[in-house]
Amino acid sequence: MTPPLLAACCLVAMLAAPLAAVRAESPPCQVPAELQRIDMRLPHLAARLRAHKPVTVVAIGGGSTAGAAAGSPDLAYPSRLREALARRYPESAIVVVNKGVPRQSAEQMRERFPRDVFAEHPVLVIWETGIVDAVRSTPIDEFADAVQRGLGALNERGIDTILVDMQFSRTTTAMIDFDLYLSTLHQVGELDGVYVFPRFEMMRYWSEQNMFNFDEVAASERTRLAARVYDCIGRRLASAIRLAVQ
Amino acid sequence: MAAPTKSRDLRLDFFRGVALIFIFADHIPGNVLSYFTLQAVAFYDAAEVFIFISGFTAALVYGQRLIAKGALYATAQIWRRAWQLYVAHVFLFVIFIGEVSYTVKAFHNPMYNEETRVADFLVQPHVAVVKALLLEFQPTFLDILPLYILMMLIFPAILLMISRRPMLVLVPSLLLYLAVQVFGLSVPAYPEGRTWYFNPLAWQFVFVSGAVLGQIAARGQDLPRLTRDLPRLTRALLPWALMVVCAAVVVRLTWTIGGVWSEVPRLFFKQLWPVDKSDLSPIRLVPFLATVVLAAAWVRRDAKFLASRAARPFVLCGRQSLEVFCLGVVLSALGHFILAEYDNELLMQVAVNAIGIGAMLLTAKMIDWYKRMDREPVMAAAATPRTQRSEGVIRRDEAAE
Repeated sequence: MTPPLLAACCLVAMLAAPLAAVRAESPPCQVPAELQRIDMRLPHLAARLRAHKPVTVVAIGGGSTAGAAAGSPDLAYPSRLREALARRYPESAIVVVNKGVPRQSAEQMRERFPRDVFAEHPVLVIWETGIVDAVRSTPIDEFADAVQRGLGALNERGIDTILVDMQFSRTTTAMIDFDLYLSTLHQVGELDGVYVFPRFEMMRYWSEQNMFNFDEVAASERTRLAARVYDCIGRRLASAIRLAVQ
Repeated sequence: MAAPTKSRDLRLDFFRGVALIFIFADHIPGNVLSYFTLQAVAFYDAAEVFIFISGFTAALVYGQRLIAKGALYATAQIWRRAWQLYVAHVFLFVIFIGEVSYTVKAFHNPMYNEETRVADFLVQPHVAVVKALLLEFQPTFLDILPLYILMMLIFPAILLMISRRPMLVLVPSLLLYLAVQVFGLSVPAYPEGRTWYFNPLAWQFVFVSGAVLGQIAARGQDLPRLTRDLPRLTRALLPWALMVVCAAVVVRLTWTIGGVWSEVPRLFFKQLWPVDKSDLSPIRLVPFLATVVLAAAWVRRDAKFLASRAARPFVLCGRQSLEVFCLGVVLSALGHFILAEYDNELLMQVAVNAIGIGAMLLTAKMIDWYKRMDREPVMAAAATPRTQRSEGVIRRDEAAE
């Protein structure tokens, strides 16, 4: 590339950048179609729902499962998911147990399985993991191994599973390299035939659409915003589940 | 360079220059360009190339100084280089702090501060700064220079030994590498529980094997037996190397393509995966060494393309590797920031890549120009008094390895 051409490219790019940032707002919780695609099935859950039998779901994960950011566990995504599922499947009594514990690696969560997951006899487990491993830079093979062994244990007991990937935050990316852990989690899911709920991409989309702006708002407002994000996550999970049990 | 008789080996500059561009591209998460870098077709990536060539050139440059000016001088020169690298590392760390401080407001977001308390740094900045100075705190992007610095610190000892008995270094180095693979040895880092991302106990082998070959290249005619045997060894290894590289490229390529189009089956995905970079998994190392054999056999020192106009910018990049590397780290962090802040569309990605790579190439060209001007004798201009003219000295190239 010749220098004048290069300079022209630079100039165009600099002028284009702010324009690209301005975007129209869209209705809440909406995501592009490709983020709603799901190839996996949840056969055990589907059978229970068809038979109108009670369903226990365990949501195991970290701080964003526990939902302290929203101020109350009722506002965390598992609780929002339960409401959405109960609306859609009124014939089955649906319970979603929240087993979120902040600041735990995938391996630490896996170690909790006997007490927190198997003891509840769930039909479906939603496992939200990866953030803390990325923060702590767990060696990638150990992270992959922990997730694979966890999925193996769930599969052995005939429990349907959904993995949930990380939260997106455009401002922490300078310090945390989520990319590797994100792609690894998705690859594990693909290898083991487990659906990975693309929370990261969804939240990135919402962030790009400026749907939830945490900057420049009061602390109380931030808690409310967090609750809205969790609500969207819960709803989107419910519609993914609906597609997977059809 | 200290050897005026021998022209610079452009292959080293060229491949290192290309590696630096790849490192820039690969450091931007989700960069489309990274589908076209080394890591898309090979199990290893530009990091191996960079460390290997760094070892090679270090042995080449300082090996010649060792012969010409003795061990003490060579040691002083190597440590001066280590110091430059250290200063560069600290400089990058300061930029990192700037970026972090700028984004501190993100921690107002209750959804993130609970989980990601990156704030390990923000809570105890005094500890983090000291740990960074001790090379124990290695934030994203600041992990490869500590390895390089450590290698340069111990390099005088390595150089002295390989100049006498290369095998006495190469064999223990390989054994250490194997010990890492078997026993999982690692070097602790900060914060608690972390380890060096580039495990120096494993990665030293890439640097040392580069250095051993560089030493042989530096000594040339002093080692008639090795100089004669090495090409023969290369030829003998060639078919095996070719097989390894081809197999690895085919397998890796199915992973890359299969990642985009799920219809393409990913060969041996389950068996070979994940490929560990920190400990330099043999799946990375073996194909890399095989590629070195191929490059040695096929890319001739006087290959035409190396001297071509098209290759020139990359050669210059490789020649000013420290500056260009640092710039690349800063630019990739910046590019990442821009893509995350605005959006990730293709046009934006193309612009970020074009600007980043353009800046790296231009900077290399500028530094090269400056160093050339600096080297030229202060010409006896008409205005210069006669007495001063005799003081015009030819300045040697700064440690340009």
